[in-house]
Amino acid sequence: MKNLPRSKRTLASACGLTGLVLLWELSLRAGLLPGNLVPLPSSIPAEFLAELRDGIWLEVVLASLSHYSIGVLIGSVLGISVGVSAALMPGFDAAQSWLARLLRPIPPLAWIPFAIIWFGVTETAAAFIISIGVFWINYFTSYSAVRAIEPSYYEVATVFGQGRFVDRLQKVSLPAAAPGILGGLRAGLGQGWMTVVAAELFGIPGIGQRMMEASGLLATDIVVVYMLTIAALYALFDYLFIMVQRRVLRWQQ
Amino acid sequence: MATVNATGPVLAARHLQLGFGGEVVLDDVSLEVRPQEFVAVVGASGVGKSTLLRALAGLLPPLQGQVSLSPPSEPSSRSWSMVFQAPRLYPWRRVLANVELGLEGLPLSRPERHQRAREQLALVGLEDLGGRWPRTLSGGQQQRVGIARALAVKPQVLFMDEPFSALDAITRRRLQGELSQLRQRTEAAIIFVTHDIEEAALLADRVMVLGKPETRQPARVTTTVPIDLALAKRQNRAGFTDLVQTLERHIGSETAGTQQEPQS
Repeated sequence: MKNLPRSKRTLASACGLTGLVLLWELSLRAGLLPGNLVPLPSSIPAEFLAELRDGIWLEVVLASLSHYSIGVLIGSVLGISVGVSAALMPGFDAAQSWLARLLRPIPPLAWIPFAIIWFGVTETAAAFIISIGVFWINYFTSYSAVRAIEPSYYEVATVFGQGRFVDRLQKVSLPAAAPGILGGLRAGLGQGWMTVVAAELFGIPGIGQRMMEASGLLATDIVVVYMLTIAALYALFDYLFIMVQRRVLRWQQ
Repeated sequence: MATVNATGPVLAARHLQLGFGGEVVLDDVSLEVRPQEFVAVVGASGVGKSTLLRALAGLLPPLQGQVSLSPPSEPSSRSWSMVFQAPRLYPWRRVLANVELGLEGLPLSRPERHQRAREQLALVGLEDLGGRWPRTLSGGQQQRVGIARALAVKPQVLFMDEPFSALDAITRRRLQGELSQLRQRTEAAIIFVTHDIEEAALLADRVMVLGKPETRQPARVTTTVPIDLALAKRQNRAGFTDLVQTLERHIGSETAGTQQEPQS
């Protein structure tokens, strides 16, 4: 496939998006779509301002951000620690291998019953569910990143007196695997947003709960306000992460 | 690994037998290296040159025999270091930090470490490139950094494992010349593995030839040839060509499995 020049690309992307929104708006106005099931795009900015003015937007976003941050942090730290340890320690690797194979296919949301039994309908329960999905992504990417390190890097460490486990970890394993580990972290940031809403649908305060409320009242425009909010938050976090990643991996560029 | 005292050889190997997984690759290799001596080890590909180097460095335990290596000359040095065929720099460290790798863990302050690394970079002519990332350097420059990294630990013995064989011919010539110069300014004895006979005769004080008496037998030391020509006179000299031819004959005859010439 041939690549378009950058300017044309941007133009085409903008056309695609506005075209769809326009089509949507016009179909509703022409009565081709049922207005009680689909919100009018032009009504969304006003609805967003109303949510913002009432303080609801900030309240639910902060609540979700709090589960999200805790869940992503715990999931990432544990995922990377277990993944790197398994990749470096054959005994530990063997011990966790079957366990990982057994637990890995279980979707994070399948843990909701236990989350509620163990933690109740609390923020902790939401953070727990978020951390599970994030854990697996980080576990697998960091495991394979460390396994893929060229053995010759370790030989250099041994030759130059850096053969102790701590030195090898700090001076070879972690920096050499950093591109893979950071890739996993980034995927985890995205995965976190996917589970945050689902976890909140069960009544834990946050964006998901507000969306459930709104859908009960058929306030579809409010639902769309929060869908777009999640997209914007994800884009923001991803952008910030890329900035950090560029800095950490500047030796690669 | 036993140690040898300061006045004697910096490295002594006695009747080494080397191999892996029950197969003997090299047999009955003995070698003594004096301080600051330059010994080249030559032989055909697969004869076990690199294996020998790793055993001499203590990275590979011998099946039989023993190696003793001089202890570090001072607390802030290491007894040996190595230059590899590929530069093997850490791409995530800047050039200066790569040179400092072996100094980490030695009793040196951070400024002393930087200072020593900068001196070594200057020695290989790269004093201005300390802040660069390795990937921005040419192959020859990267290999120079590899040499600086190895010399930075002030080793008693410097092992070089075909260090120039991955470089283009012009760069190789230049680095060979630079290594000859560098020798005068370092305390290290050098053990240099190569399959390039001319390179061995050009650089070394002594060339040890490895070869197989019979195709299926482990390799042994075929002969050891001292190179008495002054370093400066080695190129463009009839005597040098004779030397190279003598060495070629030794390698040729051994790989062909014919009768061995009497050793001098």
